[in-house]
Formats: sequence, C-alpha cells, structure tokens
Amino acid sequence: MKNTRKLIFLSLLVAIGLGLGLVESMMPLPFVAPGAKLGLSNMVILITLVVFSPKDAFVVGILKSIVLTLVTGSVTSLFYSLSGSVLSCLAMTIVYKYFSNIFSSIGVSIFGAMTHNFVQVLVACLMMNNFRIFSYLPILQLTSIFTGYFVGLTSKYAVNNLRKSFNKFDVSH
Amino acid sequence: MKALTRGDKILIAIIIIVNVAALFFVKNLAFNYENKYISIQVNGEEIKKITFDSNMVGKQIPIETEYGYNLIEIGDEKVRVIEADCPDQLDVKQGYISRVGEVIVCLPNKLVIEIKGGNIETDIDGLSR
Repeated sequence: MKNTRKLIFLSLLVAIGLGLGLVESMMPLPFVAPGAKLGLSNMVILITLVVFSPKDAFVVGILKSIVLTLVTGSVTSLFYSLSGSVLSCLAMTIVYKYFSNIFSSIGVSIFGAMTHNFVQVLVACLMMNNFRIFSYLPILQLTSIFTGYFVGLTSKYAVNNLRKSFNKFDVSH
Repeated sequence: MKALTRGDKILIAIIIIVNVAALFFVKNLAFNYENKYISIQVNGEEIKKITFDSNMVGKQIPIETEYGYNLIEIGDEKVRVIEADCPDQLDVKQGYISRVGEVIVCLPNKLVIEIKGGNIETDIDGLSR
C-alpha cells in the first residue's frame, strides 16, 4: 500500500515536471544568452530529492527527460537534457547530503543549475567540436544564480507543505 | 527558518566575482585580432569562410545541409541569422554578432557561425614560407 502511494506521488511529480518543462520551452528568458532557461522542472527534482530520496530524484529526473523528449520530439535534445539532469541531480545530492548545514535549498538549487549549464555547454562543445561555445558559460552561470535562487525558494515553500500532506498519507521515508 | 544562509551568500558572491571576471576575460580576447572573417561550420567542419567587405553588406547567404536550412545576412562588420527551420529559432533571436570569438549556435542544425580573427603575423609567415 505504502509503495503504491509512493509510486503515485512520484508519477505525479514527473507529470508536474513535464508540464513545467513544456511551459518553460514556450517562454525563453528574453534578455540574456541563447539557451538560458528558467529551469522550472529542476524544481521537481529538488523537491523529490528533499521529500523522498536521492534515488527517487534520479528516477524522476531521467523519466522527465525521456518523456519530455517524446513530447517535444527532438532526439538531439535528449542527450542535452538527460546528461544535464542526471549530473545536476548528482551535484544536488552531494551538496544536500554533505553540505546541508552550510547551504539551504537555495544553495543546493544554485549548484544544480550551475552543473546543468556546465554540462549543457560541455555536451554542445563535444557534439559540435568547437570549444568557442564555452564563451557562453559565464553569462549562463550568472543567470543560473537568479534562476537557482527562485527555484530554491519555491521548492522550499513547496517542501514545507508537501511534507505535511505526505506525512498524513505516510509515504515519505 | 531563514531563507538565505551565510553559505548561500558566500556562494553567490563567489559565482558573481568569478563569472564577471571570466566575462571580461572573454571580451578582452576579442580585441587582439586584425583580420576578421566569418567561419561557418556544420557538424564541426568548416564549410565556408567569408571575409568582411564593403560590397558584401546586405548580402544573404543560404546554408542548406542535411541537418537543416539557415539563411544568414552579412552586415557592416557583423553577421546574423535571419531565417532558420529549427524549432526554437534561438539563432534568429540572437541577432548580430560582430566581435572575434563571438558565436551563433544552432543546435538542431549542427551549425556554428563564428567570427574568427586571422593575425596579420600568420599571414606574413605564410607568405615568407
């Protein structure tokens, strides 16, 4: 019973991430470098990481990337989004597990956003054989402060409320 | 519960300092060149070189490859993409690039448009060889 509830909540989180990813792809950040995104779906991974466990966060991240690729229909973006979400999830797990006395969820989320950007640029460089693309990195990292800040803040409030309802249903660890 | 811990603030400060420094570094790299030319690369291979010239201003060059179609326009010491068949149109939205080292990237079409600088010295070396 407990496992089924957990499964349903995780699927709901994947679905929310999918919706956020779609909305996000319709509204790019207008003023900064190309490829800069809000990282809204990163919120779902962060929430899963905090409320459930790192393992579940990896599952949600990978599923979200695959399903989002099926929806948007561009196979090349699978490499970018999959590598980005797996490695940013790894970074957030490490920071959350070992440094959560130093950083709040905002810091965790900024680390995730930075790793995501770095991996995206790296994958783009490898696929295009052109290391000039790294000149985008500073401006992307600067925007990742803002996006990471808001994602962290939002998921902090979400986690507070979700914890209550999840405890009521007895699903989280 | 406080929103920002001290660690967060230090992290943000470090990121801002490092990246602003990196931004200036990237910009400074661009001024050390004399002969600018546009290098158009598809899938990592350079397929076209275009030097800036006054009678090239306003010229439009279509680039059709197996990955997709882009139309670039050359302006006065600058270049931009005006048409593309990629879904996100990020390369069109980016507008003009003009400095050495700046790039327009179209990920779906595997297209990189880069402004490169050929040093005059390398030209002399090439002649004297």
